Amino acid sequence: MNGYFSSYLTVAVLLAIGLAVVSGALLVNRLLRPHRPTPEKLLTYECGVDPVGEGWAQSQVRYYVFTYLYVVFAVDAVFLFPWATIFAAPGFGVATLVEMFVFLAFIALGILYAWRKRVLTWT
Amino acid sequence: MIQSIDYVAIGAPLALALAAGLVLLLDVFRPRRTPGPLGLVTLAGVVVAGGFVAAQALGGGERRTFCTGGAGCSFVVDGFTLVLSGLVLGAGVVVVLLSMTELAERRIPPGEWYFLLLCALTGAVLLPAARDLATLVVALELVSLPVFALTALKRYDGRASEAALKLFLVSVISTAVTLFGVSLLYGLTGTLYLEPLSAALSGAAASGAASVAVVLVLAGFAFKVAAVPFHFWAGDVYQGAPVPVAALLSVVSKAAGFAGLILILTVGLPGQAALWAPVVAVVAALTMTAGNVLALRQRAALRLLAWSSVAQSGYILAPLAVIGGSARDASVAYLVIYAVMNLGAFAVVMTVSRTAARGELDDYRGLAFGRPGAAVALAFFLLCLAGLPPGLAGLFAKVVVFRQIVEGGLGWLAVVMAVNTVIGLYYYIAWTARLFTPAPAPPARVSAPVPAALAVGIAVLVTLAFSVAPQLVLAVVG
Repeated sequence: MNGYFSSYLTVAVLLAIGLAVVSGALLVNRLLRPHRPTPEKLLTYECGVDPVGEGWAQSQVRYYVFTYLYVVFAVDAVFLFPWATIFAAPGFGVATLVEMFVFLAFIALGILYAWRKRVLTWT
Repeated sequence: MIQSIDYVAIGAPLALALAAGLVLLLDVFRPRRTPGPLGLVTLAGVVVAGGFVAAQALGGGERRTFCTGGAGCSFVVDGFTLVLSGLVLGAGVVVVLLSMTELAERRIPPGEWYFLLLCALTGAVLLPAARDLATLVVALELVSLPVFALTALKRYDGRASEAALKLFLVSVISTAVTLFGVSLLYGLTGTLYLEPLSAALSGAAASGAASVAVVLVLAGFAFKVAAVPFHFWAGDVYQGAPVPVAALLSVVSKAAGFAGLILILTVGLPGQAALWAPVVAVVAALTMTAGNVLALRQRAALRLLAWSSVAQSGYILAPLAVIGGSARDASVAYLVIYAVMNLGAFAVVMTVSRTAARGELDDYRGLAFGRPGAAVALAFFLLCLAGLPPGLAGLFAKVVVFRQIVEGGLGWLAVVMAVNTVIGLYYYIAWTARLFTPAPAPPARVSAPVPAALAVGIAVLVTLAFSVAPQLVLAVVG
């Protein structure tokens, strides 16, 4: 066992402690509490509201398009944040600013397309 | 620091990308959705990109851009880049012409079609210029991703959807495998640039991890060029996809796959040749055999072309198994000649498939009596693919590959290839013979649509030029 793998031992020990704390707490709880079930108590707990419908629910397929558009902008943010930290630094200038807006313009084509194809209207 | 960008060097992919954006804008802001003008804009974009490539070829020299001081350059335009970019753009012109015929039926949305087509071409032009692993993988994905959508654009068509799904799954898995190999290479050497990568790997002794990385990268590219054991998708996808997309897959996508493979093997991993050359030799032998044997029993024209193009992939791979020498030039020469003759065959199949929707080989019986032009062109392309006179282009390509393999000392591979060439003769000649067999009911005389006929004409002319003067290809490549 060399030094690299032994450092994983810490992770394993931490995992074991975590499991022991959670299962111990639940076990102590079970031993100490009274047990008097009613039908209401056995319902699935959903933030205090009675559950409605089945666990298998379908969602609108058009959410897919919005998710997709969101991903476009999430990816674009990945590039924007590192850019924002350096574009004002010495050695970078107007060219750096313009380059990012060229990139954003290409991304914006996607939104423009979605808008003209009436993807953004809900009904 | 700001990098200075050589806009002339990146002119070709830039022109294609701008044309793609323009097509998308024109499509959404035009009141009437006619495919004609969009096709012309696309064709103009491809021709302008071709102009950049031609200008760079005439100017000579080597252009490098996106360089980071000392580490290397991401984008290099040299002879290899120019030949493959020219191939891709020439194939692009033919595919756009075929698309005009396909879209005239109004079953496919034209704006999306041309946008995706231009995106795929952008990736294919970018790829042979890429000299770092990240650019290579991104360019390869830019070739692959639009093709799934292009395959599926013929909506409410079960075969097309099936083809798109198969292509998508196979391609995604192959990308994942390639990325795993690439990440191992990066982890071992700490560089993404191909030339420093080769230097870093040659210094160290061959480790187990390096071997695994090389094999994984090879496996990923084997998917893209439909080499055994990753060839299963070819038949269903070629048959289900619209004919121009099948042509795109068999030429542009395959050329891109080979460009990436050649770059990684000969620029990035030349020191590991003792490891990958035997693997490539075995894969090449298996690929040509499997492709030819599967093609023997096909009844549908596109499925036959699919397996025949798998077999041809084997011939293109074979010279890469030779360590050192000018092996890569033989591969590129074969690729260029294969691209022209295969595109020609697809173009004729496209014009015929409009009257024979099933696309069976029996539909071609007696074609010479109804449509002599199409029949003679198809016969010429099939003889070229078989490597028989008067299809001299195919013969020269095979001779170049044979010479390279024999000189490299791979006698057994040359024997396998010779046997395969004979197997290939059977199905190419059987198809050619059908064209000239009198049919009980001769096919109706219909004139081919103008763009498709133009595509066939271009392919015939270029193939004839290569048959008469093969030095056109061999001099440029070698």
